[in-house]
Amino acid sequence: MKERNQYREIEDFLADESFRLWMRSKEDSNCWEEWTLEHPKRAKLVEEARLWLLAMKVPEHDLSQEQVDAALQSTWMKIEKIEQESKMEQKLIQLWKTTWFRKIAAILVFGLLSFYVYDNYFVSKNNNSYYEQIVANTDDNGLLEQINNSNKPQIVTLSDGSSVLLQPKSKLSYPKVFMGNERNVYLSGEAFFEISKNPKKPFFVHANEIVTKVIGTSFRIKAYANQSDVEVLVRTGKVKVKSEKAIRNSSQEEIVLLPNQALRFVRKNQTFNKITDITLDKSLSSSIRSIEQLSFEFTDIPVAQIFKTIEQAYSVEIDFPKQVLEKCHLTTSLSDQPLPEKLKIICKSIGNNSSYTMNGNQITILSKGCN
Amino acid sequence: MSLKNQILHNAVLDDNELWVEMKAGDEKAFSTLFKKYYSYLIQYGNTFSPFSEKIQDCVQDVFTDIWVYRNSVSDTVVVKAYLLSCVRKRIVRLQQRDKVFNKTKSVDAIDFLFDFSIEQQLISDELTAGKVAHLNKVLNVLPARQKEALYLRYHHGLNVDQVAEILNVNYQSANNLLHRALVNIRKEWKGNMALLLMLLANWI
Repeated sequence: MKERNQYREIEDFLADESFRLWMRSKEDSNCWEEWTLEHPKRAKLVEEARLWLLAMKVPEHDLSQEQVDAALQSTWMKIEKIEQESKMEQKLIQLWKTTWFRKIAAILVFGLLSFYVYDNYFVSKNNNSYYEQIVANTDDNGLLEQINNSNKPQIVTLSDGSSVLLQPKSKLSYPKVFMGNERNVYLSGEAFFEISKNPKKPFFVHANEIVTKVIGTSFRIKAYANQSDVEVLVRTGKVKVKSEKAIRNSSQEEIVLLPNQALRFVRKNQTFNKITDITLDKSLSSSIRSIEQLSFEFTDIPVAQIFKTIEQAYSVEIDFPKQVLEKCHLTTSLSDQPLPEKLKIICKSIGNNSSYTMNGNQITILSKGCN
Repeated sequence: MSLKNQILHNAVLDDNELWVEMKAGDEKAFSTLFKKYYSYLIQYGNTFSPFSEKIQDCVQDVFTDIWVYRNSVSDTVVVKAYLLSCVRKRIVRLQQRDKVFNKTKSVDAIDFLFDFSIEQQLISDELTAGKVAHLNKVLNVLPARQKEALYLRYHHGLNVDQVAEILNVNYQSANNLLHRALVNIRKEWKGNMALLLMLLANWI
């Protein structure tokens, strides 16, 4: 800093803090007054510097003690927040640096990746869309579709008198009337089929990758889109099973199933497993539905009892004149018959022009009593 | 060394001591520095923006950063100049980011919106009053940057080096800014002073 005796310019004075202090607050600790009066030339400079300072006032807006304290407090809060955040970050970084954590992370990533690859390339290829694909590819336009979203089985009656007991979460596509010399239906899920006999018109069930050919028989097919196996279980008669691919390639790989035999198609590797004794197969024997357990061989049984059995087997309701039929007993074998056929036989046996009407799950018997 | 200089010297020494203690993690030293400079920095910040709440935020953020990153800040700083410079940079950054807050366009220049006022109570005669009023007018129409340089140099008492650092220019440019400001004022003022004196003489 220059000695004040060398001050020649106004800025020299302006820059001198003790000079500013003297001018603004009259605090003359450096004896400026005395010094100024020593020289008239100095006095002129000092006077001009004074004018400058007077024109350059910066108002002091000092904040109150409380305002500053509040600001300090909120600053400490900001600091705390940042420090906590950076601590969390450091913890994460440390965690990442430990080898076991990285190993676990690597395993997880690998696992997820392989699951994704597996799911996309091996499973989905032969998944859900099968039913839609097949249904879409058929020439049969005007297919009807029955979807069972309830939690009870539903009965579907086909135009040829066959009946299909459709289990929950299953759907069946079928033509309103069977044309040509084949009967084709399409299943996704599980259903119990009772097919009316017609050797001239074989019946085909397309379920996922397999086709089941029957002439007249009862059997169950379980072919859920999201399950890895397709199952066919025969109760009466004889069925032949082929894979859809085999049909397209017209190769001869076909499997014949007889009553109480079953077949499991493993979708993953497209192979057939024939099960000759269904009681030995846990998953098959445990999933047997009431319709497959009930006997339809009746010997001198009250009609009411027979109707009850049918109600149980097909999840239907049968409305019949109880008093009129109270004393009617029947002896009949209904095992290998579809539901409409069963009802027809019962009505015929009762005689007296008895008849039935069927509306969805509701069956009504009209009768004036038995012979 | 005079008594006053002694006091000033001590103040600087205190700042440096507090700074070193703060860097070592002393919360009390930090709080002391905060209390000492907060309102000062708010005042400086308010010269750039009418949004005083944002300025308070800026100044508090400056202190927050200083504490959080205390290990990496230099230990040989002139605390006052350093703080002023941090506040200014922070406001520049804020104005670049904030579209609403931002009325300026260029990257480096935030407008110094401050106007010098007049020390009325120190003026007793009409002649001085007239001269000071005129000088004040001339000062306030200076370019913003020259005005800010004057403000930092003669209000905050920073040296040219520190002014240069705060305005983000080199020493020579800062010196030129100050010099140009003074030349401008003197030219304007001296030119009109004769006229002014004549008018005043007539009026008296």
